[in-house]
Amino acid sequence: MMSKYPKTLLELRRVSKHFGGVKAVNNCSFYVKQGLITGLIGPNGAGKTTAFNLIAGLLKPDKGRISFLKQDITGRSAHVITRMGLARTFQHVRLFDNLSIEENLLVAVDHPGEKFFNCFFHSRKSGSYHKKIKGVLALVGLKKPLSTLAADLSYGQKRLLELARALMMDYKLLMLDEPTAGVNPLIRKRLKALLRKLREQGKTILLIEHDMDFVMSLSDEVIVLDAGRKLLADKPSKARKDKRVLEAYLGK
Amino acid sequence: MIEAYLMHILILICIYIVLAVSLDLAVGFTGLLNMGHVAFFGIGAYTSALLVLSGVPFWVGLLAGAVLAGFAGFLLSLPTSKIRGDYLALATMGFAFIIESFMKNWVSLTRGPLGLPGIPRPSFFGFVISSQFGYLVFAFIVMLICALLIIKIEKSPFGRLLEAVRDDETAARTLGENVYKTKAIGLTVSAFFAGVAGSLYAHYISFIDPTTFSLLEVILLLSIIIVGGLGSSKGAIAGTIILLILPEPLRFLGFPSSIVGPARQMIYALILLLIIYFSPKGCFGRVQLGES
Amino acid sequence: MSIIVQLLLNGIIAGSIYALIASGFSLIYSVAKFMHFAHGAVVTVSAFFLFFLVALLKLPFWLGFILTVVFAALLGLLMNLVVYKPLRNRKATNAVLLIASLALFIFFQSLMIALFGADIKTVRSGTISTGISFLGGIITELQIIIVLVSLALLVLLWLFMKRTRLGKAMRAVADNKEVAQTVGINPEKIYNLTFIIGSAIAGIAAVLIALEQNIEPNMGFSLIIKGFTGSIIGGISSVPGAVLGSYLLGLVENLGIWYLPSGYKDAIAFFLLFIFLLISPKGILGLKKGVGTK
Repeated sequence: MMSKYPKTLLELRRVSKHFGGVKAVNNCSFYVKQGLITGLIGPNGAGKTTAFNLIAGLLKPDKGRISFLKQDITGRSAHVITRMGLARTFQHVRLFDNLSIEENLLVAVDHPGEKFFNCFFHSRKSGSYHKKIKGVLALVGLKKPLSTLAADLSYGQKRLLELARALMMDYKLLMLDEPTAGVNPLIRKRLKALLRKLREQGKTILLIEHDMDFVMSLSDEVIVLDAGRKLLADKPSKARKDKRVLEAYLGK
Repeated sequence: MIEAYLMHILILICIYIVLAVSLDLAVGFTGLLNMGHVAFFGIGAYTSALLVLSGVPFWVGLLAGAVLAGFAGFLLSLPTSKIRGDYLALATMGFAFIIESFMKNWVSLTRGPLGLPGIPRPSFFGFVISSQFGYLVFAFIVMLICALLIIKIEKSPFGRLLEAVRDDETAARTLGENVYKTKAIGLTVSAFFAGVAGSLYAHYISFIDPTTFSLLEVILLLSIIIVGGLGSSKGAIAGTIILLILPEPLRFLGFPSSIVGPARQMIYALILLLIIYFSPKGCFGRVQLGES
Repeated sequence: MSIIVQLLLNGIIAGSIYALIASGFSLIYSVAKFMHFAHGAVVTVSAFFLFFLVALLKLPFWLGFILTVVFAALLGLLMNLVVYKPLRNRKATNAVLLIASLALFIFFQSLMIALFGADIKTVRSGTISTGISFLGGIITELQIIIVLVSLALLVLLWLFMKRTRLGKAMRAVADNKEVAQTVGINPEKIYNLTFIIGSAIAGIAAVLIALEQNIEPNMGFSLIIKGFTGSIIGGISSVPGAVLGSYLLGLVENLGIWYLPSGYKDAIAFFLLFIFLLISPKGILGLKKGVGTK
């Protein structure tokens, strides 16, 4: 699938998805440029999380095509798309509650012992991944002991763990769904710094956010969705002044 | 007489430990509410019995029973991979019933309700395990091997993967895991070992019929792993011992045998209800049943 | 030719019985949102209760009938109050409730075996009717009564749900419990009512089955499976769908054993159940998504 923009990492073309009678995503097209932080904003019900789920392969589009890394990924399975280099977090944190912090992170890596016939020769210890685990936890600032069960963490800590888990992966695109929801200002500041750092390392980030200050000050570009379609895609300074965006949020 | 009775209970405990630990692998570790485990038990038993009765060496019968049971587990995983929770429970129950139906009605193969009598004891290189004590040792060894293998799987990175799929299938998919394949392997392995247990059972009791593998067994197996605690092989073992021993005093209280049978079932049902309400994690459980 | 008519008649008669069971089950599912497997036990125990009253205590039949229906309603209510409600208060998932329901089912079935023995009981009095000829097939008066009573009850149930205030309250809770609460409906009372009505219908079914067939402790299992299947085919949370599905099941079952050995009859229901669970958990008329989401 030919893309108009050579540095495009991800592109949606006229994607539609409906549930029952509701068109969650309606003939929606946008693209995400490599190496930038792109914010995906819009009022509640605009279709942002649905778009994430479509991109990640958890949902199949009814119409339209999605391309990632110049390949058409429309309809591919979630695990296949992930392995191409997509890491994501969820609006409502999805952790493995009965596993420890360490084990949650280890699921993200491709341990040879995860293949069934190999499993008799490996233990669950972190082994060579230990350094990476420590590094990632330091990066997000989660200071709890490695053996703590995910279920025993506070909400903020769970969010950090989920982010850490995404960072364990070898990703080209990091998709974050409302990373600052319910999180205290200190962590918010740290997240901002972390995302900037990741961008410096050349990573591409797409984030859904409701915190306008956070997303506007961080993003290089902002895509505004409303009622399942793209209203506009532009620099934050322009988007924030656009009348259509204000109308979308405040209602006509 | 007492020794014979005690050995009988111990042999059954060995057999049911294999059933319980393998069921916990599917339910407690992979999160598959499989109510049809008894079907794999039956497939293992019938396959092994029929093969050995027609002259095949015992160890081939045992292996064939386990492999066929495992294959049945794989077949079951295919259509049920997208179903969860109570619907999965229902579908797996349906599967068990269909298998039971075949056992009852495919008379040319299984002799239907008449069952298969005269299943021989295992023999290795001409040596037959004819004594009960001998069988106890044999069953114990097989149980030990099966339990250790399953525990090894559970303590491996693959076991971690099973637990991840149990805890949050969607998250696991977005970490690059093919969860359908994982669930299929989990169910297949679980079924395989149930098939081993089936063979152990058939060659001990020497007579099997379709009623042995009815859905009543489901309640017993479920009670065992819930009482013992889900997600714990230790729990499955403890649950087996507790539940197989608990109703035994009924025999000695002078009730007629027509009452002992149903009374046993009532005890199992009551225990299940009480545990679900008062202590859903059971003895050693790490996971609660049906976490939302 | 007359064989087909007979099979169709048999299918309709069977379907009528299944529809009675499925409607109660489906009603409970749509309101309480879990699979009340023990509904089958309510049928079994009620049938034995009828036997106890009529055959052992020698009460007149009409009295036995009324007492049995009341008993059934109370039994269902008791199950809700003693087992399901406490579990609901502990936020049990519907998988847990299904398992508890299964345990209840086994408990009561075994209780019947312990109290009455495993052999077959009858409450039939008098001679076996030879039946009336109808379009080439034979149907007995009792079977005609069964079909008519079923249809009448189902129509009454439908009217109750659609026209009465209580019926509307039940549908409100089925639709959205939280919203129903905000308009002053007490969900617990509605659950109780649902169990009472659903179980009473099961009680009537038990009486009809006791007359038409025999009473034995395993009867509940086969019936609840058929009830389940009928519900799933028609859409598990749709009572009219459950009725439709039950008649379909009755017909498929009876036409099916034309080809298959009759021993597979129950397996047909399970096979259909399996198929419908996989391809279409929503059923024909149901709206609720069957596949669990997490």
